[in-house]
Amino acid sequence: MAETVNESWKKSPGMFASLLAPPTLFLFAFLLAPLFVVWTYSFGHNEGLTEITVDGTFANYAHALNPLYLSILIKSFAFAAFTTFICLAAGFPIALAITFAKAKTKSWLLLLIMLPFWTNLLIRTYALMALLRTQGYVNGFLHIVWNGIAGVLHLVHGPALPAFQPLDLLYNNFAVVLGLVYVQLPFMVLPLYSALDRLDRSLLEASLDLGAGHLRTMVQVVLPLAMPGVASGILVTLIPSVGAFLTPDLLGGVDSQMIANVIERQFKAANDWPFGAAISFLLMYVTFVAIALQSVFAPKKEARS
Amino acid sequence: MSRSRPGPLDYLARWPLRAWMVATTVFLYSPLLTLMVFSFNNSRRNIVWRGFTLDYYAQVLGDDSLIQAFINSLTIALISTLFSVLLGAATALLLWRFRFPFKAGLEGGLALPIVVPEICMGVALLVFFTKVLPWPTNMVWPFNLGVIIIAHISFSFSFVASVVRARLASFNREQEEAARDLGASEWRTLIDVILPHMRPGLVAGGLLAFTLSLDDFVITFFTSGPDTTTFPVKVYSMIRFSVTPEVNAASTLLIVITVALTAIALRLQGSDGAAATAPH
Amino acid sequence: MLDRDLFPKRIGRKLGRRSLLSALGATAIGVSLEGCGKPVVRGPNGEEAKLNLYNWDTYIGKHSFEWFKDKTGVSVALTLFANNDELFSKLRAGNPGFDVIVPTNDFVTRMRIADMLTPIDKSKIPNFKNLQPAFQTAPFDPGRKYSIPYTWLALGVGYRKSKIDGVPNSWKWLFDSDRYKGRIAIFDEADDLVRLAAKYLGHPGTNIPVSLLPTIEAMYIRQKKNIRVFHEDNGQDLLLAGDVDIVLEYNGDIAQVMAEDDDLAFVIPKEGSLLQSDCMCIPKGAPRIDNAHRFINFMLDAKVGADLSSTILYPTPNQAVLDLMPDSYRNNPAIFPPPDQMKNCEYSTFEGVERTRMFDELLTRVRAA
Repeated sequence: MAETVNESWKKSPGMFASLLAPPTLFLFAFLLAPLFVVWTYSFGHNEGLTEITVDGTFANYAHALNPLYLSILIKSFAFAAFTTFICLAAGFPIALAITFAKAKTKSWLLLLIMLPFWTNLLIRTYALMALLRTQGYVNGFLHIVWNGIAGVLHLVHGPALPAFQPLDLLYNNFAVVLGLVYVQLPFMVLPLYSALDRLDRSLLEASLDLGAGHLRTMVQVVLPLAMPGVASGILVTLIPSVGAFLTPDLLGGVDSQMIANVIERQFKAANDWPFGAAISFLLMYVTFVAIALQSVFAPKKEARS
Repeated sequence: MSRSRPGPLDYLARWPLRAWMVATTVFLYSPLLTLMVFSFNNSRRNIVWRGFTLDYYAQVLGDDSLIQAFINSLTIALISTLFSVLLGAATALLLWRFRFPFKAGLEGGLALPIVVPEICMGVALLVFFTKVLPWPTNMVWPFNLGVIIIAHISFSFSFVASVVRARLASFNREQEEAARDLGASEWRTLIDVILPHMRPGLVAGGLLAFTLSLDDFVITFFTSGPDTTTFPVKVYSMIRFSVTPEVNAASTLLIVITVALTAIALRLQGSDGAAATAPH
Repeated sequence: MLDRDLFPKRIGRKLGRRSLLSALGATAIGVSLEGCGKPVVRGPNGEEAKLNLYNWDTYIGKHSFEWFKDKTGVSVALTLFANNDELFSKLRAGNPGFDVIVPTNDFVTRMRIADMLTPIDKSKIPNFKNLQPAFQTAPFDPGRKYSIPYTWLALGVGYRKSKIDGVPNSWKWLFDSDRYKGRIAIFDEADDLVRLAAKYLGHPGTNIPVSLLPTIEAMYIRQKKNIRVFHEDNGQDLLLAGDVDIVLEYNGDIAQVMAEDDDLAFVIPKEGSLLQSDCMCIPKGAPRIDNAHRFINFMLDAKVGADLSSTILYPTPNQAVLDLMPDSYRNNPAIFPPPDQMKNCEYSTFEGVERTRMFDELLTRVRAA
């Protein structure tokens, strides 16, 4: 099964041109042109409060490369990678269940996964905070369970439990990852589902008939075939996680400053657009290198299938 | 009905997956549930329960600017989803099918909206639409939403392309060859053979684009004006002084409306809708 | 595959492409047509009977817009911003159509330096005389040429009485002590944190010597392990929810939660604090300048101001308003902190971009340490 058809454009120039023109025109006019303006800012400096002079300086990049910002960048990538891994592990079974559900159930299940995300991110984040806080509902629930166990132990004259200590679920790195998973999960499930949905079932059945267990079938048959979906899911989960600033802002503790928080401050509070642009583009260069590296390793997978 | 043994691929009927689905649902919905409950709370704040009230629903329904923001958000989401799906599908087909010069360049350009930090993109569009290409501010609704719609398309269509392309990778080319052998033109083949195969990808991509648009705050913030406030922008500024039950009430209404609309759409679509997502 | 396309077919295809392009062009033209302009209702002063106000949330009187419409026929459209940085970055590239904005004093300075404000014609503001004399001029805007005061506010310490020993009337308990370890929340605002730390260390909040900055940075890094969260101006929520017991917040915010919980209180530390004043201004490029003046004058009216103050519970700079207000407002120590707490307070000031940047990087280092 080829990943792309790879036909020369000269074979059907008409179709090629009509497929090419609208997206590229749009891309140039409304994405590349605006970004180009900000890109030039990254080689400039502030002139007073609102003017930016572009003089080709690399000072902003040099500043962004100082260990302070680099360490924040690395930390952000680590958090995002961890989040993506959890999303993949949690989202894969869900995508699988949706794929093999009955046609009617399928639409409802997709809706079930998507629905929470039609509520505003900020509102959801605040709702999550209401659950996790010291006197929140999770701790409230645990307290009741704890008291229940203590009561039973008391009845059977078992050891007395110490008083309930609420868990610190909010304002730490755990809360940041949990919040990011909460936000990013559907962005993993959708591409996975869309790739799994077209799997040839007979391959799975053959694998099961040949005596491979479900887990082995998953790892050795389904996962390689779903690779394009997995790759696209990782891409659309990992990168927005690196760029998330609301979640670490609201759920994070004193140590949860991410690169996106720093960028946001440059564009707002610090009012230093050239520096903000430089960190933003630095982040983009790094991401592009990562994507390029990934595509260098990609052919191996194709060869295997 | 006697319980029959589930088929080997009926994963949803197996308990570990069922349990996992239930756990995920609890994870996804418990925050929403608390939000809904607190929309009836008789307190300005979201924290302590102080009795039942419907006051905040009355306030939401009486708040014209909130409702306008609501309508703006839905309009923007619908229009930008439509265009994103069209552009995204074209892009996916293009990249899947053809080999051409500068292909890697185009792929890189497409990765941009996913890679750019939101705030950088927002500032870029703010500067672009105020200095490079000033957008007239006195247009009638919905044309005044044009800038926001363009902004939303520009960040969501490459997400759609990415999802649809993943779907196309599993296309069996023999079907296309067969159609061509039977004399169908390349456009007919595209519409009759490839497009149906793309449909789940289009649905998934459309959902993604809709979600991204409806939820976007950062980029919209920079591209909206005094007359073009959207729901997230409005909400974001409203909760500076903490989440009020009014915001919760508005969200609850939004959830109820989307569920109702989607349920109706699914019902109306009936077997057709089922066919769209069913494997061919 | 052989290309067996016939000649006419190819022409057809070309036409198709061309018509697609022209259709795209037509849409573009259609969108930019001025014919899409709105029908305009004009008031007697020749301006559109409309006003775009850019303000904070929950920062307007219950009846303000209704009464303004009754009086002038002008309807107000309200847009909200969450903080001054947002307001500034939004207007930085150009005014998208706002007539009146409500920045805080240090941003009045910033916007004046950046030439983003229109001078206010005081002959059109007869109600200016209602303001207390102290507010008729200001260090950041001598003679009030660009800004008319709306409210004022003070940073201080909000705390839960049952969990704190006595009155925490020093910044020490927030910045330099492990006594309330894990129960402290402070602002995620570099400027405020640096200036308040300077006051705690016995310096004024302005003209902070650069040599003092490492001391401040070291103090915050040391204190970090005792702080639970750097909050986003939602300190009053954290306090009310019991997440923390002592927070850095504005008096008005704490006054609002004190109404819900008797166990909460507010104090301005003895080292003094930063005052701020939110002001009404007219941004450059405002489309309806006369309406803007009428609105500002209207908000200074005694009855209108009383409606405002009783809704938002922030201190008013308006004597005519104060005369109309009940004792419960005038003598509320959270709204009007007692004079002995106010005596060391000063207005926060904008001291140039370089400082802003320096302070911001200090906080970035503290957060990353």
